[in-house]
Amino acid sequence: MKRRTFVGAAAAGLPALGILGTGSVRAQSKEIRMIESGGASGESIEKGYIEPLFKKTGIKVVRESPSSLGKLRALVESGQTSTCLFELGSGIMLQAKKLGLIEKTDWAAVNPAAMFPEAKNEYGFGYQYFSTIMAWRKGVKEPQNFTEFFDSKAFPGKRCLPDFPHYCLPFALQATGVPIDKLFPLDVDTAFKKLNEIKKDVAVWWKAGAQAPQLMKDNEVQYSICWSGRVVGDPAFGVNFAGGKADLSFIAVVKGAKPDDKAAAWKLFHEMSLPENQAKAAQVISYTGPSPELDALLPQDKLWQFPTSKQNKAVQYFENAEWWAEHGEAVNKKWEAFKLNL
Amino acid sequence: MRGQGYSFIAPLLVLMVVAFNAPMLYMLGLAFWERGQGPTLEHYEGLLETPVYLRVLGNTMRIAVVATLANVLIGYPLAHWMRSLSGHGRVIAIALVVLPFWVSILVRTYAWIVVLGNGGLVNRALQWSGLTDAPVSFLYNELGVTIGMANVLLPFLVLPLFAAMIRIDDRLLQAAASLGAPPRTIFWKIYFPLTLPALAAGALLVFILCLGFYVTPAILGGGRVPMISNLLDTLINQIPRWEQASAISTILLIVTLLIFAAYRRLDRKASA
Repeated sequence: MKRRTFVGAAAAGLPALGILGTGSVRAQSKEIRMIESGGASGESIEKGYIEPLFKKTGIKVVRESPSSLGKLRALVESGQTSTCLFELGSGIMLQAKKLGLIEKTDWAAVNPAAMFPEAKNEYGFGYQYFSTIMAWRKGVKEPQNFTEFFDSKAFPGKRCLPDFPHYCLPFALQATGVPIDKLFPLDVDTAFKKLNEIKKDVAVWWKAGAQAPQLMKDNEVQYSICWSGRVVGDPAFGVNFAGGKADLSFIAVVKGAKPDDKAAAWKLFHEMSLPENQAKAAQVISYTGPSPELDALLPQDKLWQFPTSKQNKAVQYFENAEWWAEHGEAVNKKWEAFKLNL
Repeated sequence: MRGQGYSFIAPLLVLMVVAFNAPMLYMLGLAFWERGQGPTLEHYEGLLETPVYLRVLGNTMRIAVVATLANVLIGYPLAHWMRSLSGHGRVIAIALVVLPFWVSILVRTYAWIVVLGNGGLVNRALQWSGLTDAPVSFLYNELGVTIGMANVLLPFLVLPLFAAMIRIDDRLLQAAASLGAPPRTIFWKIYFPLTLPALAAGALLVFILCLGFYVTPAILGGGRVPMISNLLDTLINQIPRWEQASAISTILLIVTLLIFAAYRRLDRKASA
């Protein structure tokens, strides 16, 4: 009997403790939770946007990572409301919208400073431009475009390419001579044919952004296609933005978030729209925010490192999220089949 | 009095059912349901229409068999040798086998890059000794994955095998020798049959663990060795097609259970 009374007391006590816990947090300050992609990118959100928000309003934003679409689906389908904000790639955001996993952004409540139109999406805040570009270990022959990058006879060395079709196929297609403004609708079969030619020289297909730079440093591979923020400014690597892919990462509000959490989120979005905050974030990682006035605030000698600076924007193509949202799954099956025949 | 034990384990049982079994059944059930449409078999039809998923499953089985065989070939002599050691040596040998268990699987897997990479210890030694001119590719292929998996899973085979071997009475072997049996006959007729159940159990455990390996193929395979858990990761986290993932998981579970059932049958026949 004693045991039972103890269990009963514990069962009765637990919810009470829970109420006390959340109650005391509420009394101190407002706190919302965000799931973002982690690494230096997460640090840049902290320095650029979360710290200024806290100084102005006392609102705390707790970060977690990584952010995958599967996790978002699990959050929403389990009916939880503790996480309010979620970082999503441009294509992933369209899928999340289709699956009904995110809420519309209340732009009137955000009242943002001037921003590029593509970043002001109905369903999210496009907060970070990033590029996927070619890079190489210093000392090897330097390719000028993707035709040369994919020519492993003239440019000998092992390659490290992304293990994602939407990061690989458009570059392979460029290697067959398709210009960047004619990439979409994507000729998937021609792109795979080109990849088949080079696959014996691809030592590693990367899944995590840190892999490619590390493998180049270890001299396991000499050339790679990777995220610009991981390689620019590092004296060990050479880079070329030519033919690269510019893309935009979004932060969106999770379906079913509480109204007062959402109110706090709109305040964070407002901070994210301010060019001075975006400049702070760009100090942590060389990706850029959506303010048209940002370039003037960035260190002028480092402009060549940023995805959206004039000389880089002109030579890259912009991700076609709509095409991938429609064809992504079918292409992915071909991708798995391609990988089986390596 | 006997029934009372249940009240002690009841909380644990409830926890297992609520936190583990129920979500798993829900996950498996997903494959038979289409949102807003009701019950369906279309996710299994989808599997048949895309043979690539089943081929990844086949590939996983093949690698699991190879890694298990490698484990048996290394583990059996190792356990046998450990049995022959005396007190202190035995403790040290067991410690060396178990020690890697305490290190995170991630660290152990990355350690293989230091050892087997192009600029790694083995390749440098090979080139220094003049055996090879260019680095040998140990990593980022099936060989690398097999080596990594064999390393991580070795204790699962060696420990039960060693436990079975030290239980064998030395006098049995002496009796055989005194009756004139040569060492080879003693090994194959007496020693090996006595260790066979433990070997089979250990090998089966290793094989089943191999089927679900994720970290090692992801790191040492360099994305070139497709295995089922990496495919499931894509289907669950990126696409996300949980229904398809669930259908594949169900097939994986059935295959694993069939293998287990076959083993139990063999085991019962052997002991009968």
